[in-house]
Amino acid sequence: MKLGLTRACFGCRPICYTTSLPSSTLNKPQIPIFLRPPAYSATSLDLRKWHEWAKGLAVSVGSSFADADNGPDTNLLCRELNWLLQDSLEDPKHDIRQSNESLMLRTSLDDLYHLWKQRIEQRRPFQYIVGCEHWRDLVLSVQEGVLIPRPETELIVDMAFDEISKNESLGQGLWADMGTGSGALAIGIGRTLGTRGRVIATDLSPVAVSVTTYNVSRYGLQDVIEVKQGSWFEPLKGFEGKFAGIVSNPPYIPSEHIPKLQAEVGRHEPTLALDGGVGGMDYLIHLCSGAATMLRGGGFFMFETNGEEQCKLIIDFMKNELAGRFCNLNAVPDFSDIQRFVTGVRR
Amino acid sequence: MLSLILKKSSHRSSLVSPNPCTSTNLIALLFSFLLVDKDSSRRPNSPTSCQKHSILASALSSFLLNTIRNQSGPHLCLSKSRYNSYLNWRGKVLVSGFGVLKRQFGGCHSALLPRFVLSCSSNQGLENLRRFCSFSAREAAKLSTSDGLTVDGIVASKWAIVDESESDWKSHAAAIAQSIQIVKKRLQWRKLIVRLGLLSSELNKPDLWDDPEHAGRISREHGSLMGKMKEVNAFEQELLEHIDMIKLAREEDDIDVESESLKALLQMRINIKEKELEALLSGEHDTCCCYIEVQAGAGGTESMDWAEMVTKMYKLWAERRGYTVTVVDQMPGEIAGIKRATIKVYGEYAYGYAKAEVGVHRLVRISPFDSGKRRHTSFAAVAVIPILGDGFTHVQINESDLRIERFRAGGAGGQHVNTTESAVRIVHVPTGVTATCQNERSQHLNKASAMEVLQSRLDQLEMARREQMNAQHTQSLTNISWGNQIRTYVLHPYRMVKDLRTNYEVYDPDSVLEGELDDFMLSYLSAYLDEDEKKISVSL
Repeated sequence: MKLGLTRACFGCRPICYTTSLPSSTLNKPQIPIFLRPPAYSATSLDLRKWHEWAKGLAVSVGSSFADADNGPDTNLLCRELNWLLQDSLEDPKHDIRQSNESLMLRTSLDDLYHLWKQRIEQRRPFQYIVGCEHWRDLVLSVQEGVLIPRPETELIVDMAFDEISKNESLGQGLWADMGTGSGALAIGIGRTLGTRGRVIATDLSPVAVSVTTYNVSRYGLQDVIEVKQGSWFEPLKGFEGKFAGIVSNPPYIPSEHIPKLQAEVGRHEPTLALDGGVGGMDYLIHLCSGAATMLRGGGFFMFETNGEEQCKLIIDFMKNELAGRFCNLNAVPDFSDIQRFVTGVRR
Repeated sequence: MLSLILKKSSHRSSLVSPNPCTSTNLIALLFSFLLVDKDSSRRPNSPTSCQKHSILASALSSFLLNTIRNQSGPHLCLSKSRYNSYLNWRGKVLVSGFGVLKRQFGGCHSALLPRFVLSCSSNQGLENLRRFCSFSAREAAKLSTSDGLTVDGIVASKWAIVDESESDWKSHAAAIAQSIQIVKKRLQWRKLIVRLGLLSSELNKPDLWDDPEHAGRISREHGSLMGKMKEVNAFEQELLEHIDMIKLAREEDDIDVESESLKALLQMRINIKEKELEALLSGEHDTCCCYIEVQAGAGGTESMDWAEMVTKMYKLWAERRGYTVTVVDQMPGEIAGIKRATIKVYGEYAYGYAKAEVGVHRLVRISPFDSGKRRHTSFAAVAVIPILGDGFTHVQINESDLRIERFRAGGAGGQHVNTTESAVRIVHVPTGVTATCQNERSQHLNKASAMEVLQSRLDQLEMARREQMNAQHTQSLTNISWGNQIRTYVLHPYRMVKDLRTNYEVYDPDSVLEGELDDFMLSYLSAYLDEDEKKISVSL
C-alpha cells in the first residue's frame, strides 16, 4: 500500500476517500466540439481563409517536430486540420470549397484560429483541441488532466474479448479498470461483457472521474460501469477475491524519461498518468500484488507496460515474489512488435 | 370479306380502311386462318409470288395464308392493343410494314400472327409445340422496314446520335439500333441462334419424350432462349415499325402521327438504354461495390501529381454517379501528389463500371514541376477490386496467417507518444497480400478497414485462380493485367483523351478529369462484347 500512497500524492495530500461520483461543479467535463450545438455562423469564404492560414502553419512545420521529438509532420497536421474542420462543421461532409455561402459551426471562427495556433505553437495535443479521441469504435471525450488513450491500449480490449469468448464465466463476472483516465478500457470491456458482467473503474484524479462518468453515460453504460475515485485498490475494499478480470494502463514511464518526452505528451498530458517512478515500475508492481489479492481463482489480468524490460521484470516478480499465485504468464507484443502487455491468470 | 382500300404509292403499299371496327374483323379473320392452318402442310411455300407485286386487297388473304403456312415470319412485336390503336387511328387502318411484302416475305411484320400461333401452340400439345419450335430457328431472319432498312443497316449508316431532347427520329433510331446490337452481343446472339437450332431439331425428334427428364431440360432451355430472342426481336420489330410509321406519316403529311411515333421512339430509346446497361453490366460481380487503387508510376513528383489527379477523377466520377466515396489509404508524395491511394466506391454497379478502368493511364503535359517547362510523360496504374457482398463465398482467412503492423510507428510507443496516426498494415503471410488503412481516426477502425481490403484482395485472387482453371473464362475482365496501357491524356501540344483499346476519344480533357468517364467505360464494355462476339464467330 505504500506505493499506492506515493501515487496518491495528488496536490501533495494523500487522498484516501472514495466517492462514486464527483459532486463539485469544478469538474464539469468539457463537451467535445463535435457534440456541441452548431451555434456559430460563418461564411465558407471565411472558413476557406482560415483553412488556408492553418494549412500554411502546418506546412511551415515540415518535419521539424518529427526531427525534434518524433512529433507530427506536415502531413499528419494537415489530416488533423481536416478532422478539426469536420468536427466543427454542422455537416461534417460539407464541402467548403463551394461558393460563398453561410454555414453553421460548432465553435466560433475566432476559436478555430486560436485552437490551431495552440496546436502548432504550443504543441497542444490535437485530441485536447477537439475534445475527443477516436479509440476503437468509440469516440471518447478527453480534456487536460486526463491521459489521451493510446492506440496500443486498444489491444487490451481485444485480449479481454478473446478471454471472455474462451471462458464465458469471465464475461458474467466483475472486472476492474485501475486508473481508468478517460474510461477507455472500462467502456471497451463493459461493451463486451455478458448481461451480468460489471466493471468498476477507479481513478485518483477527480477530472478523470468526471470525464469517465461522462463517457460512460454517453455510451449508456451506467448500469454496467461504476466509477470510483481513489488510489488504486482502495476504492475496492471488500471486493477481495471477487474479480474475474483486472486491466490497467498505469503510469509506466521511468521518471528519468519524463523531461525528454514529446512536447504534446510532456507539456500537456498529466504527469500523474505517465510517471511510473524511477524505472517506471512503481505502480505496476503495486498492481501485481493487488491482483494477487483481488482476483478470484481463474481470474485474468492484463497490464500495459513500457516494453520488453518491464514485461520481463513483472513476470520475474510474479514468479518469485508471488510464487504459486499466477499461471499462464505472458508478454504480448503490440502492433509495433514491442512487448507491451503482461497477461496472466490467478490460480 | 374485308372492305379494304388499297392505296398505292411508288415505294410501298398501305392499307386504309374507312371503318374503325375493321380491326376486330381483321383479328377474327387472322384467327380463322390460323385454325384453318392447323391441318395444312408444314412445308414452306414459295413466297416469290408476293415479292414482286404490290398487294391488292384480294392478295392480302392469300398472303396471310401463306404466312401462316410458311411460319416463316412470326416476329411478335406489337401488343394487340397497340396494334388496335394503330388501326383506330382516325378511323383509318394503317397497317405498317405491309410494304415489306414486296421485297422480303420472310421479314413480314405481321403484328398479330405470332401471337395467335403462340396461343394455338400452347393449347394444342406436343404437335403444335414442335411446329412452333421448327420455325423458331428461323426467327433470326433479318427484319427490315418497308424500304429494306435493318437494324444493322441503321447502325452501319452511322446516323448522328444527338441528345434525347432533340426530336430527331434518325438519332433516336440510331441510338436504339446501337443498343439493340449491344444487347444482342451480350446474349451472344449468333451462338444463341445456333443453340436454338440445335434445340429445335432435338425437340422435333419423335423419340424425344422417351426420356422425359432430358426432354424437359431441352424444352426449358429452348423456352428460355426463345424468350430472350423474342424480347430482342420485339425491340427490333418495334423500332422498324416506328420508322415505317414516321416515313408513312411524312408522306401523308400527318404531323400528329409523326409526333406520336417520335414520342414512342424516344420512350423506346430510354427503355432500351436500360436494357443495354443491364446487358453491359451483367457480369457476376458487376453489381458489387469496389475499391479503386491508384499507384504512381516511375517519375517522381510529376507522376505522383498525376496519380493524385487520377484519384480525384475517380472520386468525381463516383460522386457524379451518386456513389459514396471514402479514402481508405493514401500515401502522400514528398513534394506533391500521392504515391498511392485506395478509395472505396460504394453503390450499385460500381464494380461493373470501374472494372473498365484497370490498367495504366498515361499523361502528356508540360510539367508544372519542371522549371525548364519541358513536356513530360507520366504514368499511373489503376486496379479495381470488387467488394463481394454477402451473397458470395469468401476466402476464409485464418487469424494465425496474419501479421498486423503499426504503420510508421517510431520510438518507444505507448504513453511516450501522442499521435493521431494509427495506420495499420495487415500482411497475409501465405500469399504475401497486404492491405493498409490510415484514413480512420482509430487503430481499431483502420484495422477493420484494412481487413476488408485484404478480404477483397484475397477474394479477387481466388476468383482469378478459379478463372484460370476454367479455360472458358480466361478472357474475363478481372484478368486484365495491371501493366496494360489503356488510355492517354494529352494536355500538350494538343488536347485529347484517347482510349487505346477502343479508340474512343474526347477533345476536352478537363471534362474527363472532372469525372466524365461513363462514355469511356461504356464504349470499352461494349467493345469487350465485340471481342466476345468475334471469338464466337471464330469458334462457330
